[in-house]
Amino acid sequence: MKDWGYNIGSSFSRVGGGLRSFLSKEGTRSVLATVISILAGLIAGAVLMLIVGLSSENLGGKSAWEGIRIIFGGLFSTGRDAEGALSFGFNSVNMGDMLFRATPLILCGLSVAVAFKTGLFNIGASGQYLAGTTATLFIALSIPQTAMPTWIIWLLAFMGGMLAGALWGAIPGMLKAFLNINEVLACIMTNWIAATLTTWVFDMSNLKNVTEGTKSAYIYKTSFNGVQTPKMGLDKLFPDSQVNGGIIIAIVIAVIVYIVLTKTTFGFELRACGANRHAAHYAGMKDRRNIVLSMAFAGALAGAAASLYWLSGNTEFYWTGAYQSLPSEGFNGIAVALLGASNPIATIFTGIFMSTLSISGLQLRNLTAFNEYITDVIIAVIVYLSAFSLLIKSLLGGKHRRIRVVDTPPPAEAVVNDSGSKPTEATTGKGDEE
Amino acid sequence: MEQTNPYVIEMLNITKEFPGIKANDDITLRLRKGEIHALLGENGAGKSTLMSVLFGLYQPEQGRILKDGVEVKINNPNDATALNIGMVHQHFKLIDVFTVLDNIILGAEDTRCGFLMKKKAREKVMALSKQYGLIIDPDAKVEDITVGMQQRTEILKMLYRDNEILIFDEPTAVLTPQEINELMEIMRNLAAEGKSILFISHKLNEIIAVSDRVTVLRKGKCVGTVNTCDTTKEELSSMMVGRPVQLVVEKDEAKPGEAVLEVRNMSVPSKLHKRNAVSNVSFDVRSGEIVCIAGIDGNGQSEFVEGLTGLEKCSGGTISLCGHNIIRSSIRERSKRGMSHIPEDRHKHGLILDFTLEQNMVLQRYYEPRFQKGGFINFEAIRTYANHLIEQYDVRSGQGSVTRVRSMSGGNQQKAIVARELDREMPLVVAVQPTRGLDVGAIEYIHSQLVKQRDAGKAVLLVSLELDEVMNLSDRILVMYEGEIVGELDPKTTTVEELGLYMAGAKRQERRAE
Repeated sequence: MKDWGYNIGSSFSRVGGGLRSFLSKEGTRSVLATVISILAGLIAGAVLMLIVGLSSENLGGKSAWEGIRIIFGGLFSTGRDAEGALSFGFNSVNMGDMLFRATPLILCGLSVAVAFKTGLFNIGASGQYLAGTTATLFIALSIPQTAMPTWIIWLLAFMGGMLAGALWGAIPGMLKAFLNINEVLACIMTNWIAATLTTWVFDMSNLKNVTEGTKSAYIYKTSFNGVQTPKMGLDKLFPDSQVNGGIIIAIVIAVIVYIVLTKTTFGFELRACGANRHAAHYAGMKDRRNIVLSMAFAGALAGAAASLYWLSGNTEFYWTGAYQSLPSEGFNGIAVALLGASNPIATIFTGIFMSTLSISGLQLRNLTAFNEYITDVIIAVIVYLSAFSLLIKSLLGGKHRRIRVVDTPPPAEAVVNDSGSKPTEATTGKGDEE
Repeated sequence: MEQTNPYVIEMLNITKEFPGIKANDDITLRLRKGEIHALLGENGAGKSTLMSVLFGLYQPEQGRILKDGVEVKINNPNDATALNIGMVHQHFKLIDVFTVLDNIILGAEDTRCGFLMKKKAREKVMALSKQYGLIIDPDAKVEDITVGMQQRTEILKMLYRDNEILIFDEPTAVLTPQEINELMEIMRNLAAEGKSILFISHKLNEIIAVSDRVTVLRKGKCVGTVNTCDTTKEELSSMMVGRPVQLVVEKDEAKPGEAVLEVRNMSVPSKLHKRNAVSNVSFDVRSGEIVCIAGIDGNGQSEFVEGLTGLEKCSGGTISLCGHNIIRSSIRERSKRGMSHIPEDRHKHGLILDFTLEQNMVLQRYYEPRFQKGGFINFEAIRTYANHLIEQYDVRSGQGSVTRVRSMSGGNQQKAIVARELDREMPLVVAVQPTRGLDVGAIEYIHSQLVKQRDAGKAVLLVSLELDEVMNLSDRILVMYEGEIVGELDPKTTTVEELGLYMAGAKRQERRAE
């Protein structure tokens, strides 16, 4: 595999020095790898729809073509015109809803990404999200509006959600750090504990929506208590949509996470632990503490995702009193992080992309004979491919190998008999065994 | 050796290319029947690649292989076995819980109706054992026998398969001096019985002692083949490195001062069994001297270092560093109190391979005020500092301070660690196997740096498995055997043989209480 990587990489590099240096940039190749994954996923979805369309008597090639157009341009779909043909253009509702849905995805993506950077797989974002949900709703709905200004309630609810998520994330972190229990197992357990706990807590509460008649299986919206994220002018840009200031907060948080990870000593320690726990330990870093902190950090981000979602005030928490399913945001966060190569800034874009895809799914259901589940197929393909993004990256550049050749000037005395290629460092790895 | 002797194996003009690199460039190696032919070269010179080509693991781009003058095609290791080529790997390929006999016949079992014919096999093995003087206990389990006997088992495996061409890949790395001498004797016996031996090594003493001819590789090219009797160690080493190399460390008399490190009755529990891996170890290291802990691998040295540096907890005793008892201190406290540590495993502990060189250079210092302000890293200060170290210690890499350490050569990785640790100017330097896997040039450099530290009044504690290093570099030798210090020797008055006796546990001193 690696050998291919080099060959294709070198044939790329022959194209020209400019392209070569452009391609050999770490960032360029990461972005390209992601774009390739996304395109391949979309194409796979399109091919699937074509197969379904052509093989079905009811659908035919025309509907398949319509479906494909929605998949690629669903965000800009404006419904059907008078002749019944699909029309496209700026759609403020789609755009605003997309940003609203992107908010929790970006934050869950950040949650998973932060853990990845420390070498941990946070599959528990769903549970942390639920913990954040419960805390946020409780605080936002229990403190009477009369007690304090609603913006303070909002702030308390937001902080409470983050804190609850952090605590929930710290549990698998501690199990990992002190008892060496695999964090994936611990996360799956805490996910279901969170689900059951949420059911129980709301069952005991008086927050069940009883005023709106038949809706017995819902918790009040936070707006019921007057607590709502400010729109920050976004409703003017995207009228009639669900958008609010949450997306701006999410983007600010992503930038903060980026700064913490790359510019601070704390981030340096986290990344060191993630890249090589033994070396971090050797260098005197508290590797156990860092693992707990990293999971708490990740949990806080998932908690923030929940807080911002519910504090929008226009969504109600579905609660059946019997069985709480795990929210999909947590798992989609894995896809967002993978696709963004765990770069906090990239998760902003991959989160927005995933949200766009879900809007396309809705349009697909509303406007065509296909249903939105086709977008799940597309997401699945993209996630598979993003897991291959390392391979794609090496196909694009073959970085390590090339550097190894160009690298390491031989001792000055030995250059004499070297004509062109240097066989020196080929076996560096092997040499170390000797 | 008479020139009329036919060559049993001829590798002619072998070229093996890996992407961008010629690992073997037009190499010709001719092995005579009944000779011991040494293959000498630094790490990365192409020895392993060449042997892999002979063993069928790689296909060369160019070149031919002749067996007894007939061209053969070796596509995989089975072809090699069919041509009676056998190999003793550096790391033995034995099953620990099987007996010696089972290991020997494994893969070449004689059966009748599906039942093993062990009796016949045993007779053949014992006959071979007697013929070549390879003493083994056929019914002992491999996990219970010495490394030397394991190696004899490996050799018998080749002989049992009637191999005529025997490849020994760095066979002496794991042996005591006595075992090395035995192995040399065995190799001479085998050659005398008509077997042809290819002996891969970078240890010049052994090559001079046992081989008939030497082929030297450097950077994938064949530098030449010489008769061992016509050459010297110095000539071989300059052929290997491409320039004259100083084989003996130049150093003046040590001028020890105050004790910097005082270890008393230190014990470290074992991770494998209930006994202590290190028990009741006591000694001092004074400023201005290099004290070496010698011993065969696995006698508690690693655990001792882990306990000393704080990687693992000690179960008893005291460690006093510059007057402070640090036995309960964290790694960082020990490091601040005055301990530098060049770790045994540079990939596991020493470096974060996916970090850049500059990040690795401040791995223990990133939190110091000069590199951060209010928790924010001062990248400029780190780069300046890293560049200073890179220049001063001549660490070579592709893109300077922003190179990913993974892409650097082993020697330069180790230089980076040495630079980082020595530049901290700590009164105690703990260097564990600092030259493992490095080539002669890098070894020379690191030795001179350690001597420089000593002369600057630092206390240097060296833990090494390399006898040459122990004898050359140290001012005092402490021998560790089964977790205890069994002897203190003066390298100027002791011999390698005596050291070997201590290392093997055959001899021990009652040490005075310090």
